[in-house]
Amino acid sequence: MRERLSKLWRTLAWSWSPASERESSEAIVKNFWLHWFPVKVARASMDFNYSFWLGTASAALLAILTITGVMLMFFYVPSTERAYGSIKDLEYAVSFGRLLRNQHRWAAEGMVAVVFIHMARVFFTGAYRGPRAMNWLVGVALLFATLLLSFTGYLLPWDQLAYWAVTVGTGIARQAPIVGNTLALILLGGNQIGQQTLLRFYVMHVFFLPVFAWILFGYHMWRVRKDGGLAAIEPLRNARTSTPRETPAAKSYSLFGVTVGTSVAVRSSMQLEERDQVAASPNLIRRMMLVFLIVFNATLAAALLFNAPLEGPANPAVTPNPAKAPWYFVWLQELVASTTIHLGPYTVSGALLGGILVPGILLAILAAWPFLDQSPREAEGLWFARNRNRQNLVFAAITGAIIILIFVGVFLRGPYWRLYWPGMPRPAMPTLM
Amino acid sequence: MSNLGHNYGTVRIQGDDPAVNTDRRRLLRIVGKGSVLAAFLAQLGAAGRAFFPNVLYEPPRKFNLKRPHDYPVGYTFDAAHRLYVIRNANAFHVISAICTHLGCNVQWKGTEFDCPCHGSRFNPDGTVISGPAPQPLSWFEANESPDGFLQVDTAEPVARGFRFVPPNLKA
Ligand code: HEM
Ligand code: FES
Repeated sequence: MRERLSKLWRTLAWSWSPASERESSEAIVKNFWLHWFPVKVARASMDFNYSFWLGTASAALLAILTITGVMLMFFYVPSTERAYGSIKDLEYAVSFGRLLRNQHRWAAEGMVAVVFIHMARVFFTGAYRGPRAMNWLVGVALLFATLLLSFTGYLLPWDQLAYWAVTVGTGIARQAPIVGNTLALILLGGNQIGQQTLLRFYVMHVFFLPVFAWILFGYHMWRVRKDGGLAAIEPLRNARTSTPRETPAAKSYSLFGVTVGTSVAVRSSMQLEERDQVAASPNLIRRMMLVFLIVFNATLAAALLFNAPLEGPANPAVTPNPAKAPWYFVWLQELVASTTIHLGPYTVSGALLGGILVPGILLAILAAWPFLDQSPREAEGLWFARNRNRQNLVFAAITGAIIILIFVGVFLRGPYWRLYWPGMPRPAMPTLM
Repeated sequence: MSNLGHNYGTVRIQGDDPAVNTDRRRLLRIVGKGSVLAAFLAQLGAAGRAFFPNVLYEPPRKFNLKRPHDYPVGYTFDAAHRLYVIRNANAFHVISAICTHLGCNVQWKGTEFDCPCHGSRFNPDGTVISGPAPQPLSWFEANESPDGFLQVDTAEPVARGFRFVPPNLKA
C-alpha cells in the first residue's frame, strides 16, 4: 500500500529526495509541471550572493498577486456605485477580507520594488550582454507591465485617491502629441471619468495585464535557459576557454529544436564540468519553494501589521490637498509639477515634458542600453566589475535621482504641493470645502 | 542554409509541386488567402472601433444653475459642475475650476486660485501666476434660461472679459 501510494505520488509529482542521478533527472523531465526546468543547474547560478534570488521573488509575488487577486474578484463589484462599498465590505463584512486585501496591496507594492531591484542586480552584474540583451528587453516589458498593473489596480477602490490619481494620469495621456485626445477618449471611454473608465481599467487589471505578464514571464524563463543559464557562469566559461567569445556552433539538445542561422542560439555549457553543477531536483525546486514561502510570509506579516489605505469615496467636487500619487509614481508627479517651461509666447506643459517625454526617454534608454553598452565582455556576470564603473555610475545616478524625487514627494510636499522641511508646521487642510 | 553544416533533407510543402503550380492556380490562391486575411483584419479593426464610444451617458454640456439673484457678490464654487460663478454687482461671469495642468479642482483663496495637485496659482481672472499650469483657466458663456435660471454652456469658451448682465435682475 505504502509502495503504491509513493508510486502514485511520484507519477503525479516528483521524487522529493531522489536516490540516484537518474531518478533526479526523471523527476524533472517526466513531470509536466517541472519539464521547463533544466535537469542540472550551475552552482554559480544558484548562488544567493549573485542573484539574491530576486527574480524568483518577483515570480513569487506575481503568483501571490494572482491568487489573492482572483479571491478578491469574488467580492469586488466594478461599478462606480458599488465599488467603494464592496471594498468596505471586504474590510468589515467578509471574514478575513481585510487580510486578503492587505496582502494583495502589499504584495503589489512589494513587486514594484522587488522587480526594480532585480533589474538593478542584472545591471550591476552586467548580465544583459550578448544574447541576454533579448531577455533584458523582455524584462523592460515586464517592468512596464508591473507598473501598469499597479496603476490600474489603484483605481478600483473608487476612493478619492483612486479618482484623482486617474484624473492626473489620464490628464498626462491627454498631453501626448497628436494622439493625446484620442488616447484619453479610449482610456476613459468618454470625456469624463465614469463607469466606462472603471470597467476598462478593471478588465485590463484582472485579465489582459496579468495574462500578458504571465506569458512574458514564461518567455523570460525560456530565454534564461536558451541563453545558456545565468550570466554568473560566464566568468567560469571565460576562465576555461582560451578564446572566450567563440562559443561552439549552435547546438540544441531538444528533440524538435533545430536552430537555424542566428535565431535563438542555444549556448552550449560544455565548459561546465560535473563539479560545477547540481541537480535541479531537489536543489532548485527546494530553493523555489523556500523563496515562495519566505515571500508569502513576508506579505502576510505586512498584511497583519498594516492596513491598506482607503480614503473617502470618490468625489469629483473635492480634490484632496495635497493629492499624491502612490510612492512609486510620485517621482513622475514631481517631474510633472516642476517641468513646465515658458519660452516667450510658447509654453510646454510639464505634463508633456515631465509626464511623457522624460519617462519615455528613460524607457528608451533602458531598452537600448544593452545595444549601446561597450564595456568589455570579461565584466559579464561579475558584481560591480571595475571596467564597468562608468555604466554602473550612470545607472546609480539615475536611480538616485528618482529616489530623491520620491523622497521629496512623499515626505516634503504639503498642501498646494509646497515644500515643507521636516518639523515645519503644515496648515491643517479642511477635507471638504 | 549551408551554415547548418548538416543535411536534413528537403522538406516538401503541399501545393508547391511545380507541375500543378500554374499562374492561374497561384492567382486563385492569392485571391483566396488574401480575402480570408482581409476579412480577418477587418474584424480586428471592427473590434478596435468598438472602443470608441458612440453614445455617452454624460451630463449635458449646457445646463441651468441657480437663479441669478441667488448668488452673492463674489466667487461661488459650483461643485456639481466644477466651476466658479462670479458676481460683480449685476454682472456675471463663469470660470472653470478645472486646472489646465492635469485637471484637479482649483480653490478660490480670496485673492487667487490655488491648485492642490501641483501648486499652480491663478489670478482672479484665471491667468497663470505661477506653477506648472500651461494655460489660463477657461471662461464659459453665461446666459439666462427662459424660465429665469443662470445658464452655462461649457462647450462655448468665451474671451476673458466676458460679462453677462441678467436683464431683469433686481439688484
Ligand atoms: C515580473 C517581473 C520579473 C520576473 C518575475 C523576473 C524573473 C526572473 C528570474 C526568476 C530570473 C532568474 C535569475 C534571478 O532569479 O535573478 C531572471 C533573470 C533575468 N532577468 Fe528577470 N524578472 C522580471 C523582471 C525583469 C526586469 C525588469 C529586467 C530588466 C529590465 C529583467 C532582466 C533579466 C535578465 C537580463 C536576466 C538574466 C540575468 C542573468 O543572466 O544573470 N527581468 N528574471
Ligand atoms: S493639476 Fe493643477 S497644478 Fe497640476
